Amino acid sequence: MSEFDKLRVVIGYEFLKHIRRRRLYIIMAIALLAEALALILVPTLMTGGFPKDQIVGGVVIKGVMVMAMILTFGASLAAIGSVFFAGDAIAGEFESKTGFILFTNPVKKTTLWVGKYLAGFLAVGLLIIFTYVVMAIALVIIYHEVPVQIFGSLGLCLLYAAAVLSLTFLFSALSKGSMGATVMTLLFLFIVSQIVESILAFTDNPYWFMISAGGDSVTLPYGSLLQLMQGLGIGGGGGGPFGGDMSSFGALTIPLAIWGMLIYIVGGFVGAVLISRRRQLA
Amino acid sequence: MNAPIVIENLTKYYGSFLALDKLNLIVPERENIGLLGPNGAGKSTTLKILCALIRPTSGAAYIDGINVVEKPEQALAKIGAIIETPEFYTYLTPVETLGYLGRLRGMKGEALKKRIDEVISLVKLERWAKIKIEKFSRGMKQRLGLAQTLLHDPPILILDEPGLGLDPRGVVEFREIIATMGAKKTVFFASHQLVEVAQICKKVAIVNEGKLLAYDTIADLEKKYQTLEQAYLQLTGGSGE
Repeated sequence: MSEFDKLRVVIGYEFLKHIRRRRLYIIMAIALLAEALALILVPTLMTGGFPKDQIVGGVVIKGVMVMAMILTFGASLAAIGSVFFAGDAIAGEFESKTGFILFTNPVKKTTLWVGKYLAGFLAVGLLIIFTYVVMAIALVIIYHEVPVQIFGSLGLCLLYAAAVLSLTFLFSALSKGSMGATVMTLLFLFIVSQIVESILAFTDNPYWFMISAGGDSVTLPYGSLLQLMQGLGIGGGGGGPFGGDMSSFGALTIPLAIWGMLIYIVGGFVGAVLISRRRQLA
Repeated sequence: MNAPIVIENLTKYYGSFLALDKLNLIVPERENIGLLGPNGAGKSTTLKILCALIRPTSGAAYIDGINVVEKPEQALAKIGAIIETPEFYTYLTPVETLGYLGRLRGMKGEALKKRIDEVISLVKLERWAKIKIEKFSRGMKQRLGLAQTLLHDPPILILDEPGLGLDPRGVVEFREIIATMGAKKTVFFASHQLVEVAQICKKVAIVNEGKLLAYDTIADLEKKYQTLEQAYLQLTGGSGE
């Protein structure tokens, strides 16, 4: 039996785990809630209902693009849900001692980790696709169109999920317990990476290599964040403090963001495999 | 190197703690060997090295002539093992768990299904076969652990306290299964239960502080020390009186 055949077996049973665990449905509910809130709050709080096409500084900002950007936050939440799919991937085998059964089978540990990674990506990928389908349906209902840029955003969102998954695998390999791995990844994503990214952006330095920049890039296919915020009537080109802040975020481009996320995907996963190879189940 | 299990100068340090001290042991084919020793003697460490769960600091361990450290997958293909109290994925049922582990070992289709039914029946888990493991007691997990050990009909069984957590009936059934299977297989079996070991094995290895103190038939140890218990107590530092 080849390692590829074993990999298929591992993916199948790991995917079954994700399907059976409550966390998949909780993350799905949160992502859908975020989209539902956007669909309720935007027309309620904005004068004139949903965003409409407008010209700001000679540039046409389409309402459908602005709304697509807002709804994408739900999908981004689903991508962040990767943390909860992968926190226990490696650490859990040691912590709950299921490794005493699994590791006594004739299968390479690398095959197990790759299988777990791909199963996690499959689960979170399907979740993200589902949130984009919901988003597309909402846009069709509201604007009678779905911008083609939605596919670019979907691709970036899947890439971001893969990067978050790799990072979580790395922390799962480093951590003694699943909870520790999950908390460390969330702290890195939302605190460390965000702070460093902001400092780099405000000081006009490149920040594309921060994983949080990957999260920011998911809305880039719809237009620059500054333009889209202007489409919502905020961040008018540096007038207020928020507008001033947003102007600093123009440096991120899609190709740079892709490179940044690829670094995390490869680096995180390879690091996780190398570290977990040294771990022993004593 | 032709014996099913060969242990050569096996040494293992956990930090500065010496768990195994140049242990040498050969388990011949189709023999049931009991590994006896007090807590911390090095029994589990020995079995974990044989199962490629931990690496030795020095020395080597061979399963069917295959170096466990160098070629763990090839060595593991020859064994069925229970190490400590087995823990399983709680979201799976016994049938699904055995399906997963069987497929990882290249079993499939009707043959796998039939074998799963056989081993589940053997360990008397039929009523629980399709219930998620999250509801299982320690003894039931131990039964499932034995089922997964026997699933692929391996020539070598490595068992670490396999009777742990079982009720008295379970212990008896367990002993019978291992004794029956042991007639056709090589069994290397660690336990604190001298009675259990005496009923399953003809030969025992007694270890303490990582060193091999005795490796002999139970009959010979009884000749020398009167009983197996006396042999165990005297060799591992008790008065024996």
